[in-house]
Amino acid sequence: MSETSQGGFAKSIPGLILCVILGWLALQWNYSISGWQKDFKECQKILKTSAEGVGRTAPVEEAVPAGPVAEKPRAGESRVEEPLSPFDAYKAKHAEKYKEQLALYGQGELKKKPKKPHILKQDVYELLIATNEIPFKFKFGVKMIQFQLTYVAVLLLGGMLIRNTVGIPDIFKPGTVLARPIIKPGIVLLGGYYVWSNLFKVGLAALLLVIIFIFGTVVLVSVIGRKLKQDDGLIGVMAAGTGVCGVSAAVAVAPIVKAKPRDFFYAVGTLLLFGTVALFTFPYIGKALGMSEPVFGAWVGTSILNTAQLVAAASWYGHDSLLTANIINIVRVGFIPLVVLYCIWFYLVKGASAEGREEKMNTWQVIMDKFPLFILGFFAMVTLNEFGVFTKDHQYIFGKQFLKIFFAIGFAGVGLNIAFDDLKKAGGKAFVIGVFAASFKAILSAVIVMLLGTAVFQVH
Amino acid sequence: MGGETGEFEEKAKKTFSDERKEDIWVLIISAVTVILGLTGIITRDTFTSLFF
Repeated sequence: MSETSQGGFAKSIPGLILCVILGWLALQWNYSISGWQKDFKECQKILKTSAEGVGRTAPVEEAVPAGPVAEKPRAGESRVEEPLSPFDAYKAKHAEKYKEQLALYGQGELKKKPKKPHILKQDVYELLIATNEIPFKFKFGVKMIQFQLTYVAVLLLGGMLIRNTVGIPDIFKPGTVLARPIIKPGIVLLGGYYVWSNLFKVGLAALLLVIIFIFGTVVLVSVIGRKLKQDDGLIGVMAAGTGVCGVSAAVAVAPIVKAKPRDFFYAVGTLLLFGTVALFTFPYIGKALGMSEPVFGAWVGTSILNTAQLVAAASWYGHDSLLTANIINIVRVGFIPLVVLYCIWFYLVKGASAEGREEKMNTWQVIMDKFPLFILGFFAMVTLNEFGVFTKDHQYIFGKQFLKIFFAIGFAGVGLNIAFDDLKKAGGKAFVIGVFAASFKAILSAVIVMLLGTAVFQVH
Repeated sequence: MGGETGEFEEKAKKTFSDERKEDIWVLIISAVTVILGLTGIITRDTFTSLFF
């Protein structure tokens, strides 16, 4: 690492620490509301059993008819059997049921390994039995999950609120920017969830969608651009930005198409504005339209233009949504070098030969320069999983637990960097072209993915 | 305008070079996590132990 970059990293430490703390707080929130939701469901079950047992005072005790006992008397002892307390009986009932299910799983009668039962704490159980009323915090947890206010929403909305109200001191700014790509190791680790066959299955559909939408958007943007009498620079940047992968593609293409700096910054502002609006509205639109998780994943994968925003929206919706969106995103960002190649050919090589000059294109160099390396990590994870290196536990640890840690830190950075001032930079003709093309693509892709249905995009 | 465009081209190149460096760090962090998982240093309980 160079001296400058070391200095740069040192400047980023306060912001990174801030993102880690915010990420942890949000994950703690997530952990609490998930626990409360489980408690709520368990309380409902207990109350249901209680209601069914008319005139019974201790329903769960009744559920264990023989009445589990504290300890069986040994031979020769004449001790009177003491029935267990209601709470011990409740625990014993669950333990017995779990044991039975494990035995069935061992015999091959159950396909999935049974999960350990969720058991209420003793004080909560006793309060529930005494009052027949589910505690408020459990109901609150369920409401929060219903409104999708999980760690993703808390970090994005909270970060945006902080940034645009009290603001963030300058000392934290470099670190919050550096925190955003911490999402990427999460994307790589998620690779441990796939095998090549399901990657190919969804990947093929993703590939078709990505190709259709890339070319569809490029054509659309070109037509609108020409109608609005815009120059090639702006059209090229917007076509790449709205067609492939937002800001990365726009950055890659801008020098090739000789975009004017002002047009370029208008374009990036527009892409960020669209992505931010999509991020906060698409999960609710998806729910309103009744999209399944895989269908929603396919939708955001094709219509949200920025990787961080796409991953955030998909995670917000659910884990299956993230699995599908991730494949589409990988296919899409893999297209960046091809789009750059196309732009070099269209704007430089073809343009030069029309003028009687000769311009050469170093295809391999472009691919080497622009290919997003982290994709290789993702493919390595899929391959390791294919060879059976990962157990179910590993998949869970990498793809559900540590993924959340990386995402939480990254989302904290994303939220803290949504500045309304930046979004106001969206403007000019780029705004008209970009918003129209991106909205059109979003509506069309919603229709197509819903028509194709869950089965096409279901990873497992 | 020419100077401004040249500066802007440099900025675009730097963005890609930074992304390349970033990706290398991403691969290193992912590899370390996988190794810790495979060697059993991080388990299912590690994550839950981080919260109350």
